[in-house]
Amino acid sequence: MSEMTYLQAISDGLREEMRRDEAVFCLGEDIGAFGGAFKVTDGFIEEFGADRVLDTPLAENMIVGASIGAAIEGMKPVAEMQFADFIACGFDQLVNVAGKLHYRQGVSVPMVVRLPSGGGFSGGPFHSQNPEAWFMQSPGLKVVAPATAEDAKGLLVSAIRDPNPVCYLEHKGLYRHVKGEVPEGDHAVPLGDARVAREGGELSVIAYGSSVPLALQAADELDEDIEVIDLRTLNPLDEDAILASVEKTGKVLIAHEATRSCGVGAEVASLVSERAFESLDAPIRRLTAPDVPIPFSPPLEQAVLPQLDDMKEACRELIAY
Amino acid sequence: MSSSPTETTVEIVMPQMGVSVAEGTIVEWSKRPGDWVERDETVCLVTTDKVDVEIPSPAAGRLAKILVEPGDTVDVGTPLAELDAGARPGEAHPEEHQEEPPPEQQAAPSPASPGDETDRSGFYSPIVRRMADEHDIDLEQIDGTGIGGRIRKRDLVALIESGAEQQPAEPPQEERPLHIESPYQPDEPADAQADGILSDERREPMTPMRRRIAEHMLESRRTSAHCTTIVEVDLHRVVAERRELKDQMKRRGVPLTYLAFVASAVVAELGRHPILNASIDGDELVHHDDVNLGIAVALDSGLIVPVIRRAQRLSLEGLASEIGRLAQRARAGELEPDDVAGGTFTITNPGQFGAILATPIINQPQVAILDLEAVVKRPVVIDDESEAIAVRPMTNLCMSWDHRALDGAEAARFLSDVRARLEGWQR
Repeated sequence: MSEMTYLQAISDGLREEMRRDEAVFCLGEDIGAFGGAFKVTDGFIEEFGADRVLDTPLAENMIVGASIGAAIEGMKPVAEMQFADFIACGFDQLVNVAGKLHYRQGVSVPMVVRLPSGGGFSGGPFHSQNPEAWFMQSPGLKVVAPATAEDAKGLLVSAIRDPNPVCYLEHKGLYRHVKGEVPEGDHAVPLGDARVAREGGELSVIAYGSSVPLALQAADELDEDIEVIDLRTLNPLDEDAILASVEKTGKVLIAHEATRSCGVGAEVASLVSERAFESLDAPIRRLTAPDVPIPFSPPLEQAVLPQLDDMKEACRELIAY
Repeated sequence: MSSSPTETTVEIVMPQMGVSVAEGTIVEWSKRPGDWVERDETVCLVTTDKVDVEIPSPAAGRLAKILVEPGDTVDVGTPLAELDAGARPGEAHPEEHQEEPPPEQQAAPSPASPGDETDRSGFYSPIVRRMADEHDIDLEQIDGTGIGGRIRKRDLVALIESGAEQQPAEPPQEERPLHIESPYQPDEPADAQADGILSDERREPMTPMRRRIAEHMLESRRTSAHCTTIVEVDLHRVVAERRELKDQMKRRGVPLTYLAFVASAVVAELGRHPILNASIDGDELVHHDDVNLGIAVALDSGLIVPVIRRAQRLSLEGLASEIGRLAQRARAGELEPDDVAGGTFTITNPGQFGAILATPIINQPQVAILDLEAVVKRPVVIDDESEAIAVRPMTNLCMSWDHRALDGAEAARFLSDVRARLEGWQR
């Protein structure tokens, strides 16, 4: 074990897989000589050479398309979007091609698209989005969103080894703010398994990504019997873990930084009301960003993104209900 | 209430409270229907443009009917209430009864919101129903600890863990208790936490004065094209003059403040810059012959602006005297509605609290408001041949003006003339 930031854990996982498996390579904008906009691939070109750390033009459609081609031919590409927001340019390749090839032609597409997502640093509407729900609505893609350093490594490793295209959402706000003990060497966290981040009996906060540390802090500060479930993988959802927690507590708050409508919260709420209705002791609630673009202005951005106080208030209200 | 007006019915109407007041708002009724009222006894409180007025009863009698509810604004002359002047004190009014408002009927419980104190004890969530079913618990016998008395899962868990549910719910006997206390007592911290939801904030209705100020300020921001121009003024001559005059004026009961000097300079310059002593009415500029100078007075309850009428007639001492008199009456709550109406220019003086800059909001429909800030000793370069540095009592005059009525050059010219008058103060 060694202590790493979330960012270092991503690098570590990627490096381990590239060392272990010659088929793994990465590509993206400025990831080679420059080491990536956020320095995830810093030092990679020196270790693995320019053939396995490809600097691409600013053309996301091409990055995803080339990854698909390489994957079909037996490679395991890890494509980096400089910001998750830019994946919109590669949407057709990802959603219509990568996600559907196995269904149409029985062809496996083992690739990962790394998506630096999230706001909180005044990045404005083009550099702050949390687009995970787009991909959850698109059959054929897996979606993961780690919240801890250990999972950042373990989930990336599993995503690379998975035979399907995987959208790997790495929250930029966690890059350097989250630290933790990370197993050295081979470390994989299975896709599709949620994690009980904090045990409790009064309320289940179901969260992922940046909302997990927020929920844990709120639970600690409120000193209430709150359970926090870290989903880790959004597709496939760990339904058993969600239902088990709700059946224990009877109260559910689903928290995410992404916008509200048709999001993860809506999906989990629907699951709970369909499968755990008789266990409910309160309305299912969501704590999310409203359905607006992320503002540049720091106070406006704070108002839009769920804050600690919002989390505490939502928890208090549900517990009192 | 359905009493028809009789010959003995006397109407209590919204009185004329000053020549400029056309309407008033009921703040509260101090009498209720059925109450006996003496002649001239206060029946209700009315607010007009920030001044509260107690409305006396025109006759003795029994209050029969209230026609205007608190919060409603009606024109002068509108009947506010009916009084049965034929009644006698102590005699029961035929319709006298304590009217209880009907209990709020909640058809279906809506999702809870914090602070929602609607009785929810009859609403059972799915888990509560299921647990009651499985453990044969009579929910009506349980006091809930959730919002609005709702029975929560934790109430049932506590009950089941205590084993109390095994006592079969007795069919109603002679001595059936009204309710059975749940043996579950919430522990202190959890309870305090639950209460914390309601006590994290404290709400109170805005006072009528606060509401009026809020309305006026917002209205002004919406109406005027606010600009603020600031000049700094060396008050050393004014300070010297005040030192010389203030004791003798004090003996005459006149408090001589810097505000009076500034008011005097402003009034004089308003005569030379009539565009600042104006108001806007639709597409027209209204120029006023008289300077009716508003002086903002801070009260604990808010801000009020009594007006010195025809201020151009007053000397420095006259202005100082008027400022003192109006401020005192404002603080004592003795202003009449006419005292706060008809201003043509306003001076505000938060500098007494140490502030040095502000961007005041124009008192509509005027076109400018001048803000006198704290007088602060500062080193300044004396603008003569010596160019010496001296310690001088400096202040900022911050004037917000309406760019619809005038332009920056006019505002600056006016302010610089006021400054010249203060810096070169002569009797």
